[in-house]
Amino acid sequence: MNSHAQPTPAVAVKGLEKRYGSLQALSGVSLEVEPGTLFGLLGQNGAGKTTLIKILLGLVAPTGGRASLLGQPVGGLAARREVGYLPEDHRLPDYHTAPSLLDFYGALQGLTRRERQARIPPLLEMLGLKGREKLRIRGYSKGMKQRLGLAQALLHRPRVLFLDEPTDGIDPVGRKEIRDVLLEEQRSGVTVFINSHLLGEVEQLCDRVAIMRRGHLLVSGTVAELTHIKPSWLVGFDSSPADLCWEACQLEPARPGLWRVHLDSPGPDGLDRFLAEAQSRGLRLRHLEAERATLEDLYLALATHDRQAP
Amino acid sequence: MTDHASQASPARENNPTSPPSPRLLRAFCAMLLDAWREFLDAKILLLLVGLIGLLFAVALTGRIEPQPAGKNYLDLSARAMAADLEGVDLSQESVASMAGRLNGSVVWIAKAEPLGADLPTGQWNVELKRSFVPLVAGPLAAEEVQARFGRIADGQLWRVSKAEETSDALGRTVGMQSFQLTVAPGADLRLLWPHQFSLFGDSLDLTPPRGAPLGLEVLILQKLLTTGLGGSLLLLVSVVVTAAFVPNMIRKGTLELLLVRPLPRWVLLVMKYVGALVFVTVLLGLLVLAGWLITGILAGIWSPGILLALPSLILFFALLLAVSVCVGVLTRSAVAAMLVTVTYWAVLFIAGQMHNQVVESRLREENVGKLRPTSVVDSLRGAKPRREEPLKAGRVPFYRTAVGRVADGIYTVLPHTEDLDNLVDRQLMRDLAVSGPFRALVERAEFSWSQAVGLSLLHTLAFLAVACAIFSRRDP
Ligand SMILES: Nc1ncnc2c1ncn2[C@@H]1O[C@H](COP(=O)(O)OP(=O)(O)OP(=O)(O)O)[C@@H](O)[C@H]1O
Ligand SMILES: [Mg+2]
Repeated sequence: MNSHAQPTPAVAVKGLEKRYGSLQALSGVSLEVEPGTLFGLLGQNGAGKTTLIKILLGLVAPTGGRASLLGQPVGGLAARREVGYLPEDHRLPDYHTAPSLLDFYGALQGLTRRERQARIPPLLEMLGLKGREKLRIRGYSKGMKQRLGLAQALLHRPRVLFLDEPTDGIDPVGRKEIRDVLLEEQRSGVTVFINSHLLGEVEQLCDRVAIMRRGHLLVSGTVAELTHIKPSWLVGFDSSPADLCWEACQLEPARPGLWRVHLDSPGPDGLDRFLAEAQSRGLRLRHLEAERATLEDLYLALATHDRQAP
Repeated sequence: MTDHASQASPARENNPTSPPSPRLLRAFCAMLLDAWREFLDAKILLLLVGLIGLLFAVALTGRIEPQPAGKNYLDLSARAMAADLEGVDLSQESVASMAGRLNGSVVWIAKAEPLGADLPTGQWNVELKRSFVPLVAGPLAAEEVQARFGRIADGQLWRVSKAEETSDALGRTVGMQSFQLTVAPGADLRLLWPHQFSLFGDSLDLTPPRGAPLGLEVLILQKLLTTGLGGSLLLLVSVVVTAAFVPNMIRKGTLELLLVRPLPRWVLLVMKYVGALVFVTVLLGLLVLAGWLITGILAGIWSPGILLALPSLILFFALLLAVSVCVGVLTRSAVAAMLVTVTYWAVLFIAGQMHNQVVESRLREENVGKLRPTSVVDSLRGAKPRREEPLKAGRVPFYRTAVGRVADGIYTVLPHTEDLDNLVDRQLMRDLAVSGPFRALVERAEFSWSQAVGLSLLHTLAFLAVACAIFSRRDP
């Protein structure tokens, strides 16, 4: 997968193991994320996603393997200066207001007073928390807390963002806003690492995706790569191609006037052969559409079948 | 959001180059502010401020009035001029031994007239008589009377401004001298002078009919407001409020947000500790200052000894907070931290009281046959000083009983916080000219600041170190 190797990946993990007592939370996870990627990590509950992030942040010590962040070993103070983290189920100290909390975290992160004063109001505005500056966090709704959690992760302009289920509890409009914020971060060169269960969202947002199950990393690649593993096409001709078939290709009716072609050999050759064959039989092409599996199809297939990583 | 790129990310560029110490300082200030917010958030704090405010308001309604007592104090001074008659069993002594014990003389006041009112500020004209046995003792010069009159064990009652002998040569030969003195108040007269202390104007009189020495009243008031009731209340509420600090901080979902900051974990914990300590220190400072001001305003006594209560209280709270932090890190429970800390406090208190008993029992044994320490209050009440009696046959002094030994053993391994209290009492008693058995106890050399402070700090550091070690190792 790592075709154009960069000198320092944002995240590099090799053979990572984590054991909680008798429970193997991670078994031999290897992964690389290039800088500036919007990376989505998927997996069922208990798959080990959060554990992986916590190891990368130096919050939890791995029991085996290696992990580095921006070329530095995880857990070091220098690496921590460069990351922002939004934990799942976070509980912000509720005696704070949004500005006081951000000021507190900003100072711990090393921002000067002037930097904090310049950064906090626009950040609150960007995340739709403007106008509630006087309210204590204990008076916040779930979505507001989530937005504030995101604000503290972005506060010190980290180079890598780890977001554990960032849109949890946020309404659809808010999700769109947050997606835009993340895309903007990515555009300015930030690596964004997202844990999520929302497949549609990950599919829309992320450049690269990995899927975990029970501590193993099953697949990893771009969304297009993962969903093109077995491509099928929707074709339409001016008349029925029902008898157009041979062993490397199956044809079935899909919608009125459209047929689904399954090609055994992926890549352009199979399709070219198919189209040449059709033309030789006098069929004229009216519709051609690459039909990819959704991420959900892949995810469900991986979750329900005991398939090993390719 | 659109100006993201143009803002050129200050954090990303400046941070790695800025030196670490201002960064630590900045983080520390932030932690301090955070602790303050958390502190103010506890509603119980308002209750505490209310309670202590009430205590001080009540104290401020107090009135301290001097009682007429000049004649008594002149008599006391005269008696002290001769050797002590105190504790003498007349039926047991021969005339010769009596004479020896008395220095061969008796001194008394023949006439005393106030030059103004009978107040601790007034001067007196005094006619002093001295009778002595010619062969045992000799005549006394006026200068000697001037130097010695007014000095008693508790302090300087009177200063003699003028002394002249009125007796003639014959009187001196047969052993009858008389002097005419003008005496002014000595340095400690005001402190030893009986005063009446009443609350709410005059309606609640708290002193015995003839009053109590001002110094003693001030001591009791200062102790009540600071190391006693006021301080205990403040410390108790502080323990309750701060017990939640660490469990709140290390709650799942909150801890992660803190641990990802570029600071070592133990630094975060120590900063939280110091943050809490600083605010309790401020509160304690206000309490002690208020105690000092109130007794100053009510009694006009501004001796600074009470200010020693502040370091003593701070050291004590630093220890309690370290215990609370340690238990908080271990159990993640505010209730557990609070209960263990209060229990530890109770253990320290009981062990301290037992240790005082042990010391006192040793002191008594050493002093068998000697006069018991008395105070000017006792003398004024006419109490006869008594000698320390040996224990009844078959009774063992407390320090040699099993309980006493165990208590003393426990005390040696505990931080000596009771010593801190005793040392403050010692300073207060010295400043306020208070004497008596307890003064004798706290004057013992085994109570030393260096030991008491050193042991408290050592235990505090040990608890903190354990807390930091656990905190740094554990996965959140
Ligand atoms: N502190 C811990 N002690 C013991 N076991 C743990 C601990 N943290 C996680 N685990 C276990 O490790 C496994 C992976 O947990 P993890 O939180 O990484 O899952 P996840 O993929 O984030 O799940 P979810 O989607 O529900 O958030 C789970 O079986 C969990 O029970
Ligand atoms: Mg998780």
